[in-house]
Amino acid sequence: MFELLTLTIVLSAPLILGAMGGFTSERSGVINIGLEGMMLMSACVTALAAAKFGPVGAVGLGIASATVLSLLHWLATQVYRIDHVISGMAINAIGAGGTNFLYGKLSDPSHNGSISHVPVALFSWLAFFVPVILWAYARWTRGGLRMLAVGSDPDKARLMGVQPLRVRFFGLLATGLFTGLAGSQLLAYTGNFTDNMTAGRGYIALAALILGGWRPVPAFLACLAFGFFSALRIQLQGTALMGAQLPSEAWASLPYLVTIIALAGFLGKNRTPAGLGKP
Amino acid sequence: MTGITKRFGAVTALDRVDLQVASGTLHAVVGENGAGKTTLMRILYGVFGPDEGTVKLSNDQVRSFKTSRDAIAAGIGMVSQHYGIIPALSCLQNLILGAEGGAILDIRSAETRAQTLATRMGFEFDWHQDASTLSPAGAQKLEILKLLWREAKIMILDEPTAMLSPADSDALFQSMRKLASEGATVILVTHRLPEVMDHCSRVTVLRGGKLIETKDVADTDAKRLAALIIGSSSASAAPPSDAIAPPAEIGAPMLELKDLVVRGVRGEDALKQVNLNVRAGELLGIAGVDGSGQRELFQSILGLVRAKEGQILLGGQDSTKLKAIDRIRLGLRAIPEDRHEEAVIEEWSLEQNSALGLQRLEPLSTKGLVNTSARADWAAKVAAKFNTKHGGLKLPMGSLSGGNQQRFVAGRAIESQPKLILAFQPARGLDIRGTADVYAAIRERCREGAAAIVVSFDLDELIENCDRIVAMNHGRIHQPSANESRDRDAIGRLMVGAV
Repeated sequence: MFELLTLTIVLSAPLILGAMGGFTSERSGVINIGLEGMMLMSACVTALAAAKFGPVGAVGLGIASATVLSLLHWLATQVYRIDHVISGMAINAIGAGGTNFLYGKLSDPSHNGSISHVPVALFSWLAFFVPVILWAYARWTRGGLRMLAVGSDPDKARLMGVQPLRVRFFGLLATGLFTGLAGSQLLAYTGNFTDNMTAGRGYIALAALILGGWRPVPAFLACLAFGFFSALRIQLQGTALMGAQLPSEAWASLPYLVTIIALAGFLGKNRTPAGLGKP
Repeated sequence: MTGITKRFGAVTALDRVDLQVASGTLHAVVGENGAGKTTLMRILYGVFGPDEGTVKLSNDQVRSFKTSRDAIAAGIGMVSQHYGIIPALSCLQNLILGAEGGAILDIRSAETRAQTLATRMGFEFDWHQDASTLSPAGAQKLEILKLLWREAKIMILDEPTAMLSPADSDALFQSMRKLASEGATVILVTHRLPEVMDHCSRVTVLRGGKLIETKDVADTDAKRLAALIIGSSSASAAPPSDAIAPPAEIGAPMLELKDLVVRGVRGEDALKQVNLNVRAGELLGIAGVDGSGQRELFQSILGLVRAKEGQILLGGQDSTKLKAIDRIRLGLRAIPEDRHEEAVIEEWSLEQNSALGLQRLEPLSTKGLVNTSARADWAAKVAAKFNTKHGGLKLPMGSLSGGNQQRFVAGRAIESQPKLILAFQPARGLDIRGTADVYAAIRERCREGAAAIVVSFDLDELIENCDRIVAMNHGRIHQPSANESRDRDAIGRLMVGAV
């Protein structure tokens, strides 16, 4: 039972951090399907830097790499007005292809690239605090109010003297930070980098954000639910269910299935930020 | 502002316009739709820069603002015709946005100050409610409070009273005069000449993007101003001669409401046992303060909200459960209240917009397919109806000025063989001539056997144009007694429920 609990926390942490990265981006009006690529890049860079720069430096560089991608997304969508979804797909392609290339070129076979010195628990705690901080940020601060305003209607916000470009820059800066942390956490837990190790977690984080109605705390709960079912799957895999032996693929699909059902069932009221994707 | 010129593509919206406003005064800017009033104000507010010309403030700084942010920093505030309220935020959040007063929001003291400002203006708000629940008049009031919140020195008001009841507008002007006497400068863009005559000290007339004249209000009168606005050649065509034309023959009932009860947004009964009969040939005016249930009445007749109790009969047929599209098939047409939200899609072309609501009717739809050539003809007809000024039917709706969009929307409803026209403030944003034209066209349809219901917050407009007037108050409809049917004071009393 205790094992299930810790496993749930460890598995949901990268999702939560990823979803929070999505929050600061999408709430300021930038559609971000590139969370996956940013997380993957951060995981790779963290792994590569671990040998040389130590755990703290590695995490820092991981965050920096995710931030670079995130600001690239800002540049593409805000300055060059490229479609948000297309830019996000490009980020994901850079993440998948770039990490494959980088890791193949730069990895040191004598070092397994783990950052075991940074306790996984630290990330897990972070993942539990960030949603509350973001909730308070959106509600009680000037920056938060401006973020919501720009995400709802950039034109009207501009008339009130708010600069959408600037607000979104900081939103995506935070996206870089959170997705970077998510990637590092993933690596810290797994131990070493493997190709495409995020395995769709960026999309799951985005789905959780949508499921939570673009609000940090409900999105956090959605991530936790997904983490719980992932943990349950690991625990129950191979055990017989009502006398029948389920194939492992069936277990593997459980968290995804639950997410889809939850998305379909609970979407209800449309809470989509009205300014999403608007210049 | 000197020598301001602004071109949009091939169109010259402003041609070397000068405007001088003395501080501490109420200065009116008047002109027809498309005369360039709003464009001039937007340049002052830094929404876009002028192609030529300079803006000079009292402290001798010559500059034209590159962004609204600069203009705000210089103490300029603007209430635009298209509201700047963001519906997803609360009223208080909207109020303080852009002038929050610190990195951490002090909600409590902000609310106290907001309440003080609102009380001073005689307004009332539920500060933590979403702004999406505000009526247009409520949004307008919040906009005005936003200027006070920022302590703007120069306030630009673009058609501020379009959505306000007479009492609210009077209160607004009182406070504006008070603010002016305390040193603020108010620039008022309006179509309503009485407002200019009663409240302003100077007036600037624009026509076709050119400065016609700037005068002291004391040196002129409404008649001469109207002539300046319209241009001497067509001045005599301005008064609505059709209003005097004989009323159409009254025929069979087109709309009957029987004990209609409809719920409002907060679940209260917004309409309480409403009974109403409108017959063919009749132009019925509904007077009332904003929020008396006019919105719910229209939505229930259109089929957008379900009736809780009671019946709706269209042309004698029970339509209580009919879908909106079937009601349109029966000949129901609307000129909606909120142009941007309900009447047009600004990103779409004029052509596409011309088919909105009529998309399933012949000839716009032929065997389930969009008939684009019929639509193009139709759009041209709609645009021609009220002389909508546009740069091409393929251009997006958003490229038109507010008044021209309204002409297009009115044309769409009136030209499409209506049997029953529902018009919510059909003259909103229109100048004198446009208003007269729209009412004349509605009358024309009534004479051909249609019926029309017009909601307006401007009682004089209704008295001038309608055959019969009823008043709404708190979800009920009151009929004035026979001998008081056109009595301004009697109807005014019914509007506020003082019977």
